[in-house]
Amino acid sequence: MSRGGSDKTDESLKRTNLMNFRSLLVSSMLLRVFLIIYGEWQDSHMEVRYTDIDYTVFSDAASLMASGESPYKRTTYRYSPLLALLLVPNSIFHRSWGKFIFSASDLLVGLFIREILKLRKVSEKVCTVSVMVWLLNPFTFTIGTRGNCEPIVCAMILWIILSLMKGNLSQAAFWYGLVVHFRVYPIIYALPIILVLDSKLFRSGQKPPLEDWNTLTSSTEKKTFRLKSLFSRERIMFGLISGGVFLACNAVSFYFYGHEFLHEALLYHLTRTDPRHNFSIYFYHIYLHYERQFSAVEKLISFLPQFTVQLALVFSFSKDLVFCMFLQTVAFVAFNKVITAQYFVWFYCLLPLILPWSRMKLKWEGLLCIILWIGAQTHWLLWGYMLEFKGVNVFLQLWMASLVFLAANTFVLVKIIQRHRFSPLFGQYVSSDGKNVKKLD
Amino acid sequence: MGSKRGRSVIAATFIFFSMSCLNSISTTQAGTSMLDSDTFCISDQYIMKSYFTTQSSLKESEFRNFLRLQQCSENIPYEKDVPVVAMLQHREVTGEGSHRHLLTTIKLLRQSHLHELVIVERLPLGVFADPFELQSLQQRRAFSDVSVFGDTDLEQPSFRSNRSVVEIHVEINGNGEISVELPLHARYQLIGESGYSRVEFGEPDLFLCSRHVPNQEHQQRRCLVLSVGRSKTQTRSVVWDIPAGIRSHTEYVSVITFVAAVLSAFSILVASVLSSKVESCKNTKEL
Repeated sequence: MSRGGSDKTDESLKRTNLMNFRSLLVSSMLLRVFLIIYGEWQDSHMEVRYTDIDYTVFSDAASLMASGESPYKRTTYRYSPLLALLLVPNSIFHRSWGKFIFSASDLLVGLFIREILKLRKVSEKVCTVSVMVWLLNPFTFTIGTRGNCEPIVCAMILWIILSLMKGNLSQAAFWYGLVVHFRVYPIIYALPIILVLDSKLFRSGQKPPLEDWNTLTSSTEKKTFRLKSLFSRERIMFGLISGGVFLACNAVSFYFYGHEFLHEALLYHLTRTDPRHNFSIYFYHIYLHYERQFSAVEKLISFLPQFTVQLALVFSFSKDLVFCMFLQTVAFVAFNKVITAQYFVWFYCLLPLILPWSRMKLKWEGLLCIILWIGAQTHWLLWGYMLEFKGVNVFLQLWMASLVFLAANTFVLVKIIQRHRFSPLFGQYVSSDGKNVKKLD
Repeated sequence: MGSKRGRSVIAATFIFFSMSCLNSISTTQAGTSMLDSDTFCISDQYIMKSYFTTQSSLKESEFRNFLRLQQCSENIPYEKDVPVVAMLQHREVTGEGSHRHLLTTIKLLRQSHLHELVIVERLPLGVFADPFELQSLQQRRAFSDVSVFGDTDLEQPSFRSNRSVVEIHVEINGNGEISVELPLHARYQLIGESGYSRVEFGEPDLFLCSRHVPNQEHQQRRCLVLSVGRSKTQTRSVVWDIPAGIRSHTEYVSVITFVAAVLSAFSILVASVLSSKVESCKNTKEL
């Protein structure tokens, strides 16, 4: 009844919550360690390897780099030299070093998810469920333990969001420049980040006010376009720092590895048209036209849907930055010329951050979305199996399965948009004259 | 003088005809003896490595020429080799789908002091061998040595790639019967009308070589060209039918792909615009 008593129950509740989260983190860590050890056993005792073929590529490139040669001598190594540098200990300590780094990044993502949600005052229960969606997702814990480097990218993206939420503009800009150098796709977040750095909402060096999860109504004013505010100090700073870091990383890599670096690590990703079968609706179209090159007009036309969707999402949702980034990533993957399963992790790491604001219930709308999305993938995989492992010509059916997968992606995306409780990341600043006051319930 | 010349001409003609007869018989029958010129020496670990230092194509005639030019140096003792022939007992492509195995069973009909069988498999356009996979097989002692030469790009489709060659070295054990299983993968084929593209495998080139001594790079190794006969059961050619895109699909696949992309983009656009309109309506109601 007394204040002291309620403080004590608050304290013990906090401790219990922390313990629950800690035990979740520890059990996730143990699971990953077990899988890495199991993976080593499977690789040496079974025909089918646990380790991803990409990991072998990274490791070979790293050992080439360790012996002073170019990592690009390894065919199909299409990443930044930084990745090879990170994996140099593979040839010094143990070949699983990289897997431990990737799994540690994956746990770091779980930590960042919790911190981001806690900063927005999400309730403990919802927070824990969201973190579990990442840490206990089978796709997540296999991707790092199999030696895929995507968890590092996810950790960097989440750190950027966290830095922005804490008002550390330079840090966010630095990591943004680095992550775009590492993996080209985060360039799609440039526009919404710039837009959200509205000087009315964000001032560098100060901790920005965040819209809490409990806020039921949004307090943002109507969007009026002002040219002057487009070039705010924060926006220019962010652009200069991230651009500078990106160029510096590329310059250093080019200095060491020349044109090979440019072609393999950058240009390849921008111009990649793979005719081999994958989830994308474009694969069969590309295969049937592979003998002749596509004209510039044709390339532009096929890029239009992607471009339009990205712009529409950014201009509709940029204030709710994390939600915007999630939608953009799903759309980017769905409309891309090549889709492989590892790209899904790019939005899996953002999903826990939007769940607390979704009005979608697991029963039955949520389950329907999950079943449709996974069902469409499974359907595609069955045709893929027929083609690749049974040698039956099912190109047409496989292409149709890609169309079904795009339809499933579109449906899930539209449903998520409809059920989302729009919540801008930054609230209004409380000015000294008390004019703009946040509305809180 | 005239009769002497006449006799020389007749003798030369006779030799020429017998040589061509021998050549035409040796590839279809077993038990034919070989010519001494079918011995050569190489100084590299792989025959194909030596070949690719001077040649770039995989034509049969160029390969034969190359072998004829590989003379043994004087410090290699000349030995009258007992003719050895090999019988191709079994050859087929096993498995299903894009990843199969080329199974070859060879029987050596006579012993030799040369203990390493070298199989040079010139792969047809349309299939490739993965060098990394072969390396791991070598580590598991399936072969004593293996290497891939030529176009080893694992990603290019068939019409953008050139042929490749796999050279396999196998230790000969007591009974002279060797079975080799080479894992192969299909490339994406040229589009056609039927939906399948046929890839046909020729016969491998077989050699018997002395063992390679590591760290002695300039030590020459003697190799013997083996003539290969086919067993009575092995008469049909070895083929692999790989699925290929169908040309007549081109038009409507492109149109429907584009329409699907536009429809999806439009749905997302409408949902986004409607959603942000709803939000701004809510805001104006509050304010």
